[in-house]
Amino acid sequence: MTQRISKYQRFKMMNPVIQFFKFIYLSIKIMLVVAGGHGGTRKVN
Amino acid sequence: MSKIVILGAGIAGHVAATHLRRKLPQKHEVVVVSPNSNYQWVPSNIWVGIGRMKSEKIYFPLAPLYKKKGIGYRQAKAISFYPEGDKTEEKPYVLSEYVVGENKGLQEKITYDYLINATGPKLNFEATEGLIPGKNKAYSVCTYTHADHAWEGLSALIQEMKKGKKAKILIGTGHAKSTCQGAAFEYILNVEQELRKHNVRDMAEVTWISNEYQLGDFGMDGMLLSYGSMTMKSHEMVEMIFEDRDIKWILGAGVYKVEDGVAHYENLEGEYKIETYDFAMLIPAFSGHGFKAFDKNENDITEKLFKGFMIVDADYTPKPYEEWSVKDWPETYQNPSYKNIFAPGIAFAPPHAISKPRTSKNGTVISPAPPRTGMPSGITAKLVADNIIDSIKSGKESLNHKGSMGNMGAACIASAGYGMTTGSGVSITTYPIVPDYEKYPKTQGRQLGKTFGEIGLAGHWLKLALHYAFIYKAKMRPFWWLIPE
Repeated sequence: MTQRISKYQRFKMMNPVIQFFKFIYLSIKIMLVVAGGHGGTRKVN
Repeated sequence: MSKIVILGAGIAGHVAATHLRRKLPQKHEVVVVSPNSNYQWVPSNIWVGIGRMKSEKIYFPLAPLYKKKGIGYRQAKAISFYPEGDKTEEKPYVLSEYVVGENKGLQEKITYDYLINATGPKLNFEATEGLIPGKNKAYSVCTYTHADHAWEGLSALIQEMKKGKKAKILIGTGHAKSTCQGAAFEYILNVEQELRKHNVRDMAEVTWISNEYQLGDFGMDGMLLSYGSMTMKSHEMVEMIFEDRDIKWILGAGVYKVEDGVAHYENLEGEYKIETYDFAMLIPAFSGHGFKAFDKNENDITEKLFKGFMIVDADYTPKPYEEWSVKDWPETYQNPSYKNIFAPGIAFAPPHAISKPRTSKNGTVISPAPPRTGMPSGITAKLVADNIIDSIKSGKESLNHKGSMGNMGAACIASAGYGMTTGSGVSITTYPIVPDYEKYPKTQGRQLGKTFGEIGLAGHWLKLALHYAFIYKAKMRPFWWLIPE
């Protein structure tokens, strides 16, 4: 069965105070994933 | 002294040009060749298409910036490639044709020492009969002018709905092999929110139509992601959002013809069906530009450079889906035949799809092509620029900078509605972009901690912050290079 977004979840999703901290958290987390480096996948002998 | 020519001034071309100019001494020439006069921040087209952002906010003219920064600029389109020169020109060159001004129509041999092909995709509307932006009530948000037209169409429909008209809105992919489902996903959520803001939501039936096998595939075979304290599949997440927004969906649909208010499609069962609409936004198929290439004696060598898009250091050996490997994906974006030619961003030919290919019972391929969004375009363009810089400085070929999409993370901040307090966004990060089933066999080829999704107002703020940050970076304002790709 499809998950539903509950009223409490919706409150958390749209509450500016909670979301402000989420914004900071996401910015850092995304930065770590994206700017965390990249490279090849093939080993060089 | 070296001359680096960059074809295209989109995200990849502009990133490469700006980094090359910043890091190379002025004695080296950096030249951008693009038919477009403006740089545009494509991800914000979504907001232009719902009338929440003026198109002027997402583009700026290239010529003054390039003049100020010492980057050469030709407003011209590439026609054909001569990687060995010809009988009269010793140096390799690209034959280009000016598209504006007194030189319009004039062709020039633009010689180079290094060539970066960042021409991106051709928006192949012709591949779907009747799919013409602004015609047959069908629109696109692929460029800011298309997005302007889309808003004109949507705005007119909203006015009719306010007078009592019931309407059907259809958004998704306009071809069996389209990609960029993410943009359509953003647009459908934004349109749905706009309908609510205009108090006409109950007058509209909103439907998603896509060539994906499952919701949330996005041409990346979907993903298993962390969502809060849960682990869920991307199709479950998108299904949850669509259920919440009362959006219907049609999957496995290859749209092949568009008439006035009617989309014709074939599904994976091989059935031919129609879907009527009053407003549609359908993403076209992407294709290469059909460039030709010639050797010194003017023999056709197109197959050495192009396979639709440009051939790079990928493994293009045809093999069954089960044998596909993340190692097939390119690392340096260098053409194997001509080592001074590179193709980052969307210009390179992918070795294979990321999503499992599917065909209808009639044999029609109905499957998303692999997406290559802004972030990997920027990253690959920068690493190509860095390799060229190292090669010029050391005097020998250097390919130390590598970035396979199988070893690279990407963030997709999908707007789900505009508004500082009422907006929303679906923030998804994926690592790696191309699943690595050897490294992460139990989590659908991706690392769970780095592959996550979040829904909420913060996502809207993030997308807005990225809009301003990347336009600041593109304008090469002070310390622009500190903002990562």
